[in-house]
Amino acid sequence: MNKGALSKGFIYTLLIAGSLLMLLPFLWMISTSLKPANEVMMLPPKWIPSEILWENYREAWNIAPFGRYLLNSIIVTVLSTVGELITTILAAYAFSRIQFYGRDILFSFLLGTMMVPGEVLLIPNFVTLSNLGWIDHYEALIIPWIASIFAIFLLRQYFLSIPKELTYAAKIDGCSDFRFLWSIMVPLAKPALITIALLKAIGSWNAFLWPLIVTNSKDMRTLPVGLTSFSTEAGTIYELLMAGSTMIILPMIILYLFLQKYIIEGISRSGIKG
Amino acid sequence: MQVKLIDVTMKFNDVVAVYNLNITIESGKLVSLLGPSGCGKSTTLFLLAGLYKPNNGSIIFGDKKVNEIEPENREIGMVFQNYALYPHMSVLKNIMFPLNMQKVPKKEAEKRAKEMADLVRIGHLLARKPGQLSGGQQQRVAIARALVKQPKLLLLDEPLSNLDARLRLEMREEIRRIQQEVGITTIFVTHDQEEAMSISDQVLLLNDGQIQQYNHPQYLYNHPINIFVAKFMGNPPINILETMVDKEAKKLILTSNEQQMMIPNKLNIQTIQDEKIYLGIRPEELFITSLDEGALQGKITYVETIGRDTLIRAAIGDEPLRVIIPPDTKIKIGDLVGFGMKEDRIHIFDSTGRNISQQLT
Amino acid sequence: MNVHPTLKSTLKALLYLSPALMIIGVFNIYPIIKSFAMSFYSDYDYFNDVVYERGLDNFIYIMKDADFWLAMKNTFIFVIGVVPLSIIISLGIALLLNTNIYLRGFFRTIFFIPFVTSVVAVSIVWRWVFHTDYGLLNYFLGFFGVDPISWLTDPAWAMPSLIILSVWKGLGYNIIIFLAGLQNINKQYYLAAKVDGATAFYRFIHITIPLLSPTTFFISIVSIINSFKVFDEVFALFDRRPGPVNSALTVVYYIFDKFYVEWEFGIASAAAYVLFIVIFLFTLIQLYIGKRNVHY
Repeated sequence: MNKGALSKGFIYTLLIAGSLLMLLPFLWMISTSLKPANEVMMLPPKWIPSEILWENYREAWNIAPFGRYLLNSIIVTVLSTVGELITTILAAYAFSRIQFYGRDILFSFLLGTMMVPGEVLLIPNFVTLSNLGWIDHYEALIIPWIASIFAIFLLRQYFLSIPKELTYAAKIDGCSDFRFLWSIMVPLAKPALITIALLKAIGSWNAFLWPLIVTNSKDMRTLPVGLTSFSTEAGTIYELLMAGSTMIILPMIILYLFLQKYIIEGISRSGIKG
Repeated sequence: MQVKLIDVTMKFNDVVAVYNLNITIESGKLVSLLGPSGCGKSTTLFLLAGLYKPNNGSIIFGDKKVNEIEPENREIGMVFQNYALYPHMSVLKNIMFPLNMQKVPKKEAEKRAKEMADLVRIGHLLARKPGQLSGGQQQRVAIARALVKQPKLLLLDEPLSNLDARLRLEMREEIRRIQQEVGITTIFVTHDQEEAMSISDQVLLLNDGQIQQYNHPQYLYNHPINIFVAKFMGNPPINILETMVDKEAKKLILTSNEQQMMIPNKLNIQTIQDEKIYLGIRPEELFITSLDEGALQGKITYVETIGRDTLIRAAIGDEPLRVIIPPDTKIKIGDLVGFGMKEDRIHIFDSTGRNISQQLT
Repeated sequence: MNVHPTLKSTLKALLYLSPALMIIGVFNIYPIIKSFAMSFYSDYDYFNDVVYERGLDNFIYIMKDADFWLAMKNTFIFVIGVVPLSIIISLGIALLLNTNIYLRGFFRTIFFIPFVTSVVAVSIVWRWVFHTDYGLLNYFLGFFGVDPISWLTDPAWAMPSLIILSVWKGLGYNIIIFLAGLQNINKQYYLAAKVDGATAFYRFIHITIPLLSPTTFFISIVSIINSFKVFDEVFALFDRRPGPVNSALTVVYYIFDKFYVEWEFGIASAAAYVLFIVIFLFTLIQLYIGKRNVHY
């Protein structure tokens, strides 16, 4: 018996078991979401429904305005991602390519504020937004989130790795700062920008506490907030609850599967820097 | 275009990178800025480009002072050590970029870019991205991009140092060919004296931010103004022997082992003021003679034949001596021999390192 | 372009920075100060933004509030439950993935999936997995002869349920960072040790563990900070309640409750600042320990 093969077999067994533990809740969720009501509460559980019931999704859709929630989530996710990219690109450029008074102090100060947990900011921000009259409006869901110190830090590091000579060359070629940023730096920083956009989109799509607090009406809820209120209403109708959960979870899993390279690289990099 | 630097000084915080530089570069010439790393040669180039602004002094292009003029308005082209090609653009787009910035109509820009690509012989690579090119090809693209807007001055920052030895020779000749075809005033930064000697009309040798000597390359080799220049020019490097002057005995005595040296006939020892002088003799200007005929005596410690030359090292006491001899000389390690020198080729430096050969003969 | 900052370059930089700085200033920096001030508002009319009285009342209140101490206790239990477990499991999986195996990328992809999903949605999924009668977990435990456990309704099991969910959710992130750390270790150390005749176990203890210590250090700081802030899971898993008889009441849940349910802004701010200080002290302690034990 080969000792190497034995330990290989052991490693595979562990990894496969671990993967199943990761995946089973999702498979269980999808399976339940497609079951007829009488097969949901069953022992032993039935993995493959006797008939695939897409009806559950329509029913969930009818009970709660999931269409509206979905629309809100898409609007909030897209706008806050685009907004963050713009503010981040501009700020990271200033921090990486312009010499100005107080640059290093300002940058360290901003990094320092990242220490403060978001929960501390919650209450004053709520007061600010209600003074602005933004509560229960898209502004409240989007505007506070279109700038991120972490993203600026990440992109600045990437910009710094682009050779300075490119800046000089462009300058001599007659390219303005602003044009250089958009036609040279931004295309070159595409991997970092995709990472930033993806992390933002995932965070924004999944955000819960903030949208819960700044929205009152059903019309302004995002998917996660909508789902929790639906769960209170639907109570124990698990096939509908699972259908609702699938609607939130699946888009991000698909996005992740296609663009995982960027997410994983971005996260690995942030870890090594830390 | 003639380029003039008058009293130019550049400081980074407290470090003086370039001090009180005064030079004139004539129109259409290729001038090398030569020196060890950190000598201020790249800083000088960046000052000319306008990427740095001097703390003091004037930079004059033609008859116009350009201190306050931004790089993009100085009518210059520049090639960087790492080429600085835009990695996401094709070769053609890279060469066209400066023209696009000048808002040259697209058709004309493309035509001029293609002409320039043909001049640097990369006309067949226009659709490629920089990453798909060899180092030499990238270099050519960078030159084309620098020249396409017909600048009045071309600046090259160590353009050959990222290439392997064979390509370096090839590109060296190419740069010279292109420069002469275009007839553009060119400034070439390098730390390699051989490169500077082979390519330039004039060499400006810098050390510690100050000019050492500015002249034809061969002149620097033959008439170094001080020990630094003598040592920097030439490979294998010049031998420098420290000697004490004994005016009564009319002898020079090697400091290291008190060996007496014959005084070169042309030297009038009485005119030497210092007690200590340095003799500089290039390896090719020494030859082997019998022990008693030699100006110096030493033991062979090393023999190496490279191609058409044989380089030997000998120990004069503790002092090493490098000599180039014809390869057919019968010699082996451990031999005790005499060394003669071509007397009119000896350089004499005073105790501060200044060349005083002229005053003494 | 210049090597030295000038007035002009500073103005230009401010122009580039202004969009980000405006947002960060209003929604990140101002609230840090404001929140601190609010924690001293002992009598505050939120609707008209008028402060009638300032003082330490809020801090005194939470120090005397049994619920706050319960929330602190629960949060500590949660942190102690999640962080070591998550680090050990994820390090183990990262080590397995770092061996020379097929489908490495595939496994890594799977382990990371929970990280990209909505906490709220997966908590609701886990509510179903934890179901006493028909849940998947009790079904599997039944194979081992374990009687059905009331995961979400028995106060004794509420915290373990929360811990299981959180470990499961956060595993992927830690694995990715551990893998990056492992790949950063120069292979030559292992080759040298092998030549010197070190066993696999010896190499693990004397090369992997010390050289991985910066990564472990980073992960433990991030995990502790995040674990102190647990909220979404509680809210969704127990359906808008802090667990049966407050058994899963955490500090952030307490803050949320005081703020959003009871409209006690001052008390909520004071509690938030206390949480901040606790997290800050923990990070300082870790940095201190890290300085002495992490091998860079």
